[in-house]
Amino acid sequence: MHEQLLEDIAQKNGLREVNTYLKLAAGLGAIILCLLSTSYLPPLFITLILTCSILSLARVGAKSYARLFIVPFWFALFSVAGIILISGGQEAFWRWDPLPWFSLSITKESINHGFFVFCRVLGGMSAMCFIALTTPMTDIFIVLRQCRVPEIIIDLAMIIYRTIFIILDQVKQIHNAQVMRLGYSTFQESIRSFASMCGAVFIASWNAGEDLIRAMDARCYDGKFAVLGESRRVEVLPLVVVVVFLSLSSLVVIFSKDMAIM
Amino acid sequence: MSRIILEAREIRYRYPHGMEAIRGISFHIRKGEKIALVGPNGAGKSTLLMMFNGMIRPDAGIILFDNQPIRYDAASLRMLRKRVGFVLQNPDRQIIAPTVYQDVAFGPTNLGYSETEVREAVTLALRYVGLEGFERRPPHQLSGGEKKRVAIAGVLAMDPDVLVFDEPTSGLDPAGSEDIIELLDELNHEGKTVIISTHDVELAYPWVDRAILLLEGKILQEGIPEVAFGNPEFVRRAHLSLPTLLELHTELRDRGFPLPEKKPRSVLDMMHIIETLFRKTCLTATPGTITICNVDQENKESLLGWLSSKPKISVGAMGTRAKQRAEHDQIRLDFTYGVIDKCILRALLGEDSLVLSTGSMVDRVHTRVGDYGKESGIHIIVTPFGSRTDNPTRDKEVI
Repeated sequence: MHEQLLEDIAQKNGLREVNTYLKLAAGLGAIILCLLSTSYLPPLFITLILTCSILSLARVGAKSYARLFIVPFWFALFSVAGIILISGGQEAFWRWDPLPWFSLSITKESINHGFFVFCRVLGGMSAMCFIALTTPMTDIFIVLRQCRVPEIIIDLAMIIYRTIFIILDQVKQIHNAQVMRLGYSTFQESIRSFASMCGAVFIASWNAGEDLIRAMDARCYDGKFAVLGESRRVEVLPLVVVVVFLSLSSLVVIFSKDMAIM
Repeated sequence: MSRIILEAREIRYRYPHGMEAIRGISFHIRKGEKIALVGPNGAGKSTLLMMFNGMIRPDAGIILFDNQPIRYDAASLRMLRKRVGFVLQNPDRQIIAPTVYQDVAFGPTNLGYSETEVREAVTLALRYVGLEGFERRPPHQLSGGEKKRVAIAGVLAMDPDVLVFDEPTSGLDPAGSEDIIELLDELNHEGKTVIISTHDVELAYPWVDRAILLLEGKILQEGIPEVAFGNPEFVRRAHLSLPTLLELHTELRDRGFPLPEKKPRSVLDMMHIIETLFRKTCLTATPGTITICNVDQENKESLLGWLSSKPKISVGAMGTRAKQRAEHDQIRLDFTYGVIDKCILRALLGEDSLVLSTGSMVDRVHTRVGDYGKESGIHIIVTPFGSRTDNPTRDKEVI
């Protein structure tokens, strides 16, 4: 078996049975509130709540969650460092002018701004993770169709979704075969191996496409790709929880208006 | 004899820019038959199978379905493909939708069923293959055997008359292969014609009604398994191996043992031959009884209570639903494949056994045991579960 993919976590998470719209409302609502807020506090609040619910309600392992979070976290950290150094302000704590037209400084305003951006990234990230870890793609297809997204786009998305895993499997097999025969021992060798793997996978996916048409024809394909699965009912408790979460967050947004760290 | 459902007359086919895959083949398949196409790689098995549902059109000759030549316009092909279900060798190539439900619903949806009809067909098909509760699972998380079952359910949902399987057991572990073969048997028992291609002689030999040996696009031998697999020369040429039972039969005959004309199809047949050969039966004075339990009619308590009173009894399950029920009730199964024969073998040793089964399969136990009784002259008692015909003194002996 392959290692755990994001989608596998989503398929098994504790909130799988909750109505998709509720989960999307919580996630998307959180992102919008993060964007609307003018202070660092609401995004932090949202991060805290969503992280707790991912870990305790959806029962996603802390390790998987941390691994997912760490890459954008570092990215955000470095970007924010850049923002703090480049953007200016009145109260400078530190200043350096290496060139006449270029200066780096750390000011009160830039720290405030940087921290705010950083919190926003955290908030947005946790909301994205919340959606990704609790809502499998298969449920999102249903929502897309109910939202009147054109059929052809959904059908294509479904085929892509299904094929990704097959091709991923093939990539792993070819990669293993190459590693076993020392295909990645030197830099030059790895470039060559990688190129040949890409070629092989391209041919394999081409074949898979032809097979797909054949498989569909064999089952009387008539322009209808797949019906909807059933969507789950909106239950009272999750609905209340989402409403409380979003209204609490909105309150935090309103009361923390223009609040800054310094 | 039932009517002919599929017939090929002198068909030929050459792949574009390739070799000639089929070189003049004629045969016919009757409704309700179990047919195996056997042959080495590249013999043309898959090509031939693909012609049955019109995926490949022969260059010459005709194929008749239900005594009508297959027509290759879109509407006729759709009708043909509804009636001839095709299960590909690689389930990953067959499963196209992102969830099990959507995939099984693909056929019925495209046939224009209403939403409730689709749901009904899907539920029924999934129940049949024993995958209830898998509706929302994505296929890539399933095991090989489960994927195969999804692929079969996808075809079953269209309720075809003929089921064509390309290498149904390839890539499955032995227990998984036996499960699939049992499932095919169950389908065949419901009246569906089953055509498979395979290399697995041991699996095909006891199971099929008729086998067709293919070599280099031609039919090498055709007939009942004893005939089709019985010629060592042909078997060697077709890159197969002789079934162990037939080999044993040949070896015994070569050593001058007087064997009956009828060649053994199962271990039970072989046992019978050996016992008559040595004029000595190893069995106790009274053969054991076989109890049949219809799992749809019995509740867990009475079944478990009955079993706990007979700790030494062997238990077998026939059919997907019976096996699921056994797993659910945590009943340890001794046999899951070739159940009736194994129970008869137990009975000949003087041991009792219980068969868990469902609906129509119950009659099969009676038929098979009755046939055996006629052939061998040994009468084995088959009792339905819950009846009070069990002899209490015998029970004591067993305990």
